[in-house]
Amino acid sequence: MDRLPCGTKFATYRADHAWWQTRFTWIKMLFLAVVLFFIIPQFVGGYLISVCNMIGYTILAAMGVQLLIGYTGQITLGHAATIGMGAFACALSMYLFGVPYLVGLVIGAFAGGLLSLLFGLPCIKVKGFYIIMTTMAMQFITIDIILTQFLGPLAGKGRGGVISVEPEMFSIGPWVIYSTLDCYYWMLILVIIMFVFMANLLRTRVGRAWIAIRDNDIAAEALGVNIVRYKLLAFFIAGAMGGIAGSFWLTTQSIVSPEHFPFYWSLWLVGVLLIGGVGSLYGIIYGAIFMTGVLELIKLAIIPLSLMFPAIAGKFLHFKDFFFGLAIIIFLIFEPNGLAYRWWRAKRYIWLWPFSY
Amino acid sequence: MKRIWLFPIVVVLSIVALIASACPAPAPVAPVEVVKIGALQDMTGATSDVGVDEARGVAEAVAYFNDIGGINGKPIKLFQYDYGYRVPEAVTTYTRFRDYDKVIAVLGWGTGDTEALKPTITKDKIVYLSSSFSGHLCDPAESPYNFVYSSDYSTKARATIQYWYDNYWLKDPRYKEEREAGVKPRFAFFGHFGVPYATAPVEAIKEQAKMLGFDFLADQDVSLWALDTKSQVLAVKENPPHFVWHGNTTMSVSTTLKDFYALGLSGRGKKTMHGSNCWGHDENTIKLAGPAAEETLSANKVALFMWDYPMRATVHEYAQKINPGVPLEDRLVHAVGGWLKVHLMVEALTRMDNAGELDLRPEALDTTRARLKHYFEVAPLDDIAKLYGLAEFTVTPTDHRPSGKIAICQIEGGKFVDRGFVDMKALYPDLWAGWLGW
Repeated sequence: MDRLPCGTKFATYRADHAWWQTRFTWIKMLFLAVVLFFIIPQFVGGYLISVCNMIGYTILAAMGVQLLIGYTGQITLGHAATIGMGAFACALSMYLFGVPYLVGLVIGAFAGGLLSLLFGLPCIKVKGFYIIMTTMAMQFITIDIILTQFLGPLAGKGRGGVISVEPEMFSIGPWVIYSTLDCYYWMLILVIIMFVFMANLLRTRVGRAWIAIRDNDIAAEALGVNIVRYKLLAFFIAGAMGGIAGSFWLTTQSIVSPEHFPFYWSLWLVGVLLIGGVGSLYGIIYGAIFMTGVLELIKLAIIPLSLMFPAIAGKFLHFKDFFFGLAIIIFLIFEPNGLAYRWWRAKRYIWLWPFSY
Repeated sequence: MKRIWLFPIVVVLSIVALIASACPAPAPVAPVEVVKIGALQDMTGATSDVGVDEARGVAEAVAYFNDIGGINGKPIKLFQYDYGYRVPEAVTTYTRFRDYDKVIAVLGWGTGDTEALKPTITKDKIVYLSSSFSGHLCDPAESPYNFVYSSDYSTKARATIQYWYDNYWLKDPRYKEEREAGVKPRFAFFGHFGVPYATAPVEAIKEQAKMLGFDFLADQDVSLWALDTKSQVLAVKENPPHFVWHGNTTMSVSTTLKDFYALGLSGRGKKTMHGSNCWGHDENTIKLAGPAAEETLSANKVALFMWDYPMRATVHEYAQKINPGVPLEDRLVHAVGGWLKVHLMVEALTRMDNAGELDLRPEALDTTRARLKHYFEVAPLDDIAKLYGLAEFTVTPTDHRPSGKIAICQIEGGKFVDRGFVDMKALYPDLWAGWLGW
């Protein structure tokens, strides 16, 4: 009965706390690894690989947002700023000082983290709508002023703040991250590391403190949780995750511009969470797949159709944005817990069939 | 299990995606000899105020060239897609064009996508003919596969300020007093700092202004979506500029012009005059800004839609044929730009076919893509440029700036008037080479 996780059957704490508790789960995860590392690269063309990279980038970018909104209860609408700061710090350190990519990545993570920490300081005093305002301020101050006015011009004349790094410089030891496929593998490695890091962090004292703050910060303080320290820690780690996401984005493009991190991207990441599931790690993945995948599905339909009916390309594409607004509203009304919860319910249903309730 | 229906929807969507991706590209019924071109457009995003009409122009031009026989009898298939100025979407759409639709070349749109894709294009060796004319995209040492269809922003900006200096500051009676008192003309830049399109020519125009002896006021940040710019205009009101360079697109430039007018700084005969980049003015400027736009100078990328240029009759005919719902009076200069873009591409492909190198077999795709670059550079395309009111289009393997001759136009009595060409290459022959790439 390895397959069905019902009934008490763990004899040790270790088994009880294991991530993958049954042999069936192990086999499933092994199969997933085979699909991700061998089947997709082998049998899927360059186009879908680049879609996967975009999904990976969205996952990495949304992870910090999930940490802040989903686990610490600090609503952020400026996360693109930390991603941009990370990407710029990584790009500039490579472009100006020729540091290796991995060092650039660490610098990017710190830069993103420190920026987020700086703008997270008001959270000591304010919460709710006001913290939204400070994170929005982070978005506009960072992108429109810091990156554009001060960091961008370091790239040289006439570039409008665009920094490009030689694609050959993205190397880890002998491995040069050059092609789309290389980026794909690097994306998988980063997503797995970050995912494991965050999943485990949430099970520690720190993670539990965050969740306590999210649920009720006054009660948490009464229980002896140092709210200031933990809130700021959450801001720092979320920012550092954003910085890592930015450094990954740099790998896929070899170029970075303030235009890559607009306000809508911050909102988009919140949309990813709302659809995937707030406060759920898997929600990040489902949300990212949904938001990126649906856009590609629309493209799949529109491009052949517009060859037959040219009017579609001009007149109906506004529906694309309309659709996302609609998707978020539908999810908020019918499934506020997001796709992750829906997936869990579906799994439960299959496990317990035909005796579900 | 209530509301389980969401789950099947997701499953069905994923299955559709899987099946669709497993199917071959939706072209097997078409003949093998089809020349495929991808086009990234912005019809819904930040630059859609100018992007919609260019997209229409591109589609109309392709229809025209297919009607007259395509590339020596091979029809052109255009894959056009709106990416809403969202860079991640531009990236996936480009890879779709490259790997799935298997296009020969791509017609790009703004700085957002062109900059982001520049290293990828260089790696893939695919010609990318873009509507983003940033100076550094014209340096083949840096981006050998990027082409622009009209002169770069920096040369345009230099030419516009040169024209103003020569024809207004040195000659116009309104500046007589200041000129004789030895006052230096004052320059201000208005544009969206966070957008490379707006800021790309700033260093160039400032260098030109410095050379001509200008004084500088603080740059003012105006969003591409700005609906009110009074605070920025007020910031320069105390010591008003003589010449303002606008880096944004039509909508926000018109807003700024109106605010200058409302605060009494500019308008016919006033001392503050304006110049705008080639995406910062079009037929809508007059409708949006009215008297506030009087005397504004602009560097044209092509002739305006209603002007008299050799291709006018054809452009108008296809505009009515393909987009009958849009009256000709509402069409913009950007559609003509779309035509020029397609025409240049068609000409290069025809040259390639004439040389017997347009090999459309799937196994030869990479070679054909990489080789196309040569047919832009091999000989001037001046004849094509002249059809749309430009002076020349000549690119070489070492310099992708199409021309040093910039067409200047001005708003005069509610109409755009042609002010002829300013030849920056002839005016500054010693400096011209050094201006490449910024």
